Amino acid sequence: MAGDLKKKSIFAKLGGQKFIVLLVVIVLFTFFSIASQDFRKYTTVLNIFDFSYYIVLMAIGVTFPLITGGVDLSIGTGLICYSLAGGYLVVHLGWPTGLGLLVSVLFGILIGFANGVLIAVMGLPPFLATLCTCMITRGLGSICSKGFGISWPTTGAPGSWFRSIFKMQIGGTKIPIGFIWILIIVAIMAFVLNHTKIGRYTIAIGSNKEAAVLSGINVKFYHIMAYVISGFFAGLASIAYAAVFPTVQPGTGAGFELEAIGGAIIGGVSATGGAGSIEGTLIGVFVICLLKTGLPFVGLQANWQQIITGLVLIAAVLVDIIKKRREAK
Amino acid sequence: MDKIKQNPIVKKLGFNRIVLVFVILLMYTLFCVATGGNFAGLPRILSALNYAYFLGFLSLGVTFVIATGGIDFSIGPVMFCAALISGYSLTSLGVPMGLALLISVFVGFCFGLFNGYLVAYWSVPPFIVSMASMNIAKGVASVFTKTQSVSWPQLAAGGWFRQLVKIGNFPVGLVIFVLVAIVCALLLNKTKPGRYILCLGSNREAVRLSGVNTKKWEMLAYVICGVLVGIAAIFFVGAYTTVQPGYGDQYNNEAIAGCVMGGTSMAGGLASISGTVIGVFIIALLQEGILALGFTKDYQLIITGIIVIVAVYADVVARRRKN
Amino acid sequence: MGEVILTMNDIDKSFPGVHALDHVHFDVNRGEVHALMGENGAGKSTLMKVLTGIYTKDSGTIEFEGKEVEFHNAREAQDAGVVIVHQELNMVGHLTVAQNIFIGREFKKGFRIDDKKMNEEAAKLFKRLNIDIDPTATMSDLTVGKQQMCEIAKAISHEAKVIVFDEPSAALTESEIAELFKIIRDLREQQLGIVYISHRMDEIKVITDRVTVMRDGGYVGTLITKDCTKDDIINMMVGRVIYEEPKTKSLVPDDAPVVLKVEHLNAGKMVRDVSFELRKGEILGFSGLMGAGRTETARAIFGADPKESGDIYINGKKVEINSPEDAVKNGIGYLSEDRKRFGIVVQKTIAENSTLATLEKYMKGIFINKKKENEVTQKYVDSLATKTPSIDQLVVNLSGGNQQKVVIAKWLVRDSEILIFDEPTRGIDVGAKNEIYKLMNRLAAEGKSIIMISSEMTEILRMSDRIIVMCEGKVTGEIGIEEVSQEKIMNMATREIS
Repeated sequence: MAGDLKKKSIFAKLGGQKFIVLLVVIVLFTFFSIASQDFRKYTTVLNIFDFSYYIVLMAIGVTFPLITGGVDLSIGTGLICYSLAGGYLVVHLGWPTGLGLLVSVLFGILIGFANGVLIAVMGLPPFLATLCTCMITRGLGSICSKGFGISWPTTGAPGSWFRSIFKMQIGGTKIPIGFIWILIIVAIMAFVLNHTKIGRYTIAIGSNKEAAVLSGINVKFYHIMAYVISGFFAGLASIAYAAVFPTVQPGTGAGFELEAIGGAIIGGVSATGGAGSIEGTLIGVFVICLLKTGLPFVGLQANWQQIITGLVLIAAVLVDIIKKRREAK
Repeated sequence: MDKIKQNPIVKKLGFNRIVLVFVILLMYTLFCVATGGNFAGLPRILSALNYAYFLGFLSLGVTFVIATGGIDFSIGPVMFCAALISGYSLTSLGVPMGLALLISVFVGFCFGLFNGYLVAYWSVPPFIVSMASMNIAKGVASVFTKTQSVSWPQLAAGGWFRQLVKIGNFPVGLVIFVLVAIVCALLLNKTKPGRYILCLGSNREAVRLSGVNTKKWEMLAYVICGVLVGIAAIFFVGAYTTVQPGYGDQYNNEAIAGCVMGGTSMAGGLASISGTVIGVFIIALLQEGILALGFTKDYQLIITGIIVIVAVYADVVARRRKN
Repeated sequence: MGEVILTMNDIDKSFPGVHALDHVHFDVNRGEVHALMGENGAGKSTLMKVLTGIYTKDSGTIEFEGKEVEFHNAREAQDAGVVIVHQELNMVGHLTVAQNIFIGREFKKGFRIDDKKMNEEAAKLFKRLNIDIDPTATMSDLTVGKQQMCEIAKAISHEAKVIVFDEPSAALTESEIAELFKIIRDLREQQLGIVYISHRMDEIKVITDRVTVMRDGGYVGTLITKDCTKDDIINMMVGRVIYEEPKTKSLVPDDAPVVLKVEHLNAGKMVRDVSFELRKGEILGFSGLMGAGRTETARAIFGADPKESGDIYINGKKVEINSPEDAVKNGIGYLSEDRKRFGIVVQKTIAENSTLATLEKYMKGIFINKKKENEVTQKYVDSLATKTPSIDQLVVNLSGGNQQKVVIAKWLVRDSEILIFDEPTRGIDVGAKNEIYKLMNRLAAEGKSIIMISSEMTEILRMSDRIIVMCEGKVTGEIGIEEVSQEKIMNMATREIS
């Protein structure tokens, strides 16, 4: 039956890049564990999980624009903006926490929709449109909170229930149950990407937009949807961020998008669109998170992580490009 | 309207540029009226000029990159990186002032080379390269300065480089900026590299099939951009003294805004240095005006963002109409 | 053979300046394979585009299943059961075969796309067509031939009653063609009407029942395939009156030296072991059908695409050409068939385009010597009689013929000794054509050596001193202008290659 296929290597059967990246995660973890005693502690593992949630969520969302061949640079500053807006309502205006969180998510969807319209309908280059919304959300966030940091209710205080969404205290131990939610979300979004029209057409737009148009697909709608999903997940990420960090500071958030986009691309999303998977993105993000948490344990300041993330991103894209050049020959 | 556009003098100067100059005058008048004449004073003008210098160099630089049809939004953080590395060398490592200024330009050059090489020779999408460079620049600067901010010396403490910005109240910086802009204009319009950069931005394949090494010239555009970013760093510290690691992103957008407002097309192949210069002054005046009206920096971000969107959309519409 | 399913009567269509279809008649029966033949530009594709509503006809009627119809777009035609399998593939490489076949009309189970059902349906379809393709395979992993089969399957899955194959075999290998023919025969069994557009004479004889020949937008005639010979068809295709005088004698002196020698050039599938010589002052015509590998050969010689093997000698000396840069240094100039994409920078001025390949000669220190640049541009605008208000005019504002002159000027400014003209008069009106011809003759007389790739027979016969014919990436014939005839060229261009 498969005689007409080009032969697939064992490597490809194991999931290709995803498999290799998973190995990298394991190797990194082992390396840090051997190199540093402190890294081996349970609290470190808890930290890795804590600091991964918001990046994973952003990365899952941004996977969709990336697969269409675009990008969403507004997710990092956007996350902070949504959290500030929702938090202001809760902390200063006394809204119930749940409503505040809902506002955060809706705000994310709104900005995502704006990005989608700028790109799919008005025809602006994706990086430029989202670079602008990146700056705009940075300004908006600061205006929403009047320039001050926002401290969502701390653990134990009334209305702090959302903090235990991600970390539950059972007996004396803290359980990172957030990871379970993440796995569920990954499963749902993998389903969306692979088994629904939204996912299918997202891939079609990134792979061969012309063919998608000729097949009678409402390309503009699905193109916008990719950015709405990205915005929605930036909104969810803002909840995860608020739940983990005591205070949300205006003016921060730039650079988060690199960690998310970098994670997605390391996990096998093609920088030129058309291909990618949610599972891959999840694994890719953990490479970034491990580096971020682990490097200080081996004596490298946190700033090295920025440099290394940048270089790893370039390396991941180069691997993709070299692979394609080989195939073309 | 068409009659005005056909007027030979108007044609020579460029209709759009004339409109933009009027926009500057109008904005200036509006700000003066809105602030009750407060804006008209020399301090405000000098302050706006300070802003225009470093932004101007960034904008000039990115004009070359956009002319090739690419983009570089690592310029803001790279400028900070250059200022931090050279400043740290000066204040903590005892490097002489002259050399420190050269280091700044060299740091910009290195990033330009890195970006250009990846884009031109490896076809890495420019936005990926920008994103990576932006973070590498921030990281390198932080590591180099051990996450400390750096303050450049005042004039009295041996900071002679400040005379590049102004002597007394005389805006030396303006003279230098205009001179550099003229050099850029000559480079872009009257020399071989400029000709090739513009042509390859318009139709890369036709230029390659004319026997031109397009990769080399495309990379050069990023290198020119890098060098100008290094110069921008000098003017930034000349005006604002202190730089902190981890910042600089917002200037990307402002620099690109100056560039696209001046008529440089995001699609590549069409670029105007004089347009960029005028665009930069509009942006600088706007930033200053927003502050003078009592708004915070946040409004600057939002308004600049909207301006870029509108300017780029205008370009998209103009191109659609042509086809 | 069943009753008539589709009739196109008296179809007329004009574009500005061109009478593309001149009262054409065409019909297809159920259970028939009907070939539509003609040279490039004879009007076959236009006729099919009128059929499927991509173009609107000026007059005439289309009857489908006994009713008069008018489709407004490909989708409407598809829904009615008239589909085209295009020469270019329109597939989403990252999706699977089944996902591609049903894209835009997926089966659903609630939110979920029912991939299982799609795979089953695709498998059924393939079974009906007797094709061995895994519906779950990723499209980009398939060979071009298999992708073509998927396009066919997609077409049939629309409940097609009439299928138009537009040169389906162009990208297929021998065994894939055999498989394609098997499918076509099966479809004929199932009483579908099939239109088969192809240049390959041998295929026509094997697979079709009737042949309709078109020439210059007009209907020539219809033959029963088994009652006619290959020569009959060729005669119908080329039997036009030639207004221009063909060249009768080579103008190249016998002792003219060889300036370019290409030996055993290989580059991809379309350039297989190509060898030839070009002499000084010669116009060497490259004839052949679309997709014969002529442009690919030119691009490989010019270094625009990588080559696998082969040697190039210029004036007897072996040269290494790995990029257009090398080629230009060695005095070769290339005028692409696609001027807008590969020839000119349309948003720049005539002057800027003219010196694009030679800029270093027009420098004064580090600056471009605008005065010298303008002088040389003006010189060539005058000598080539380019019609333009000024040399500062943007090239985008010029007509096709004048744009071509700008490209020629670019290489003349460079003083290139060897010029490759790829379809030099495509998209150029008749008057300007003659000017380009005169110009080429003048250049040859001045000692330039010219390779002219052309799909127009009259152009080849009128201009060439010698003709090389290619087919499927190989040189299938070489013939001097003295003994040439259209029939001979057509025979070589359709020669079967084993």
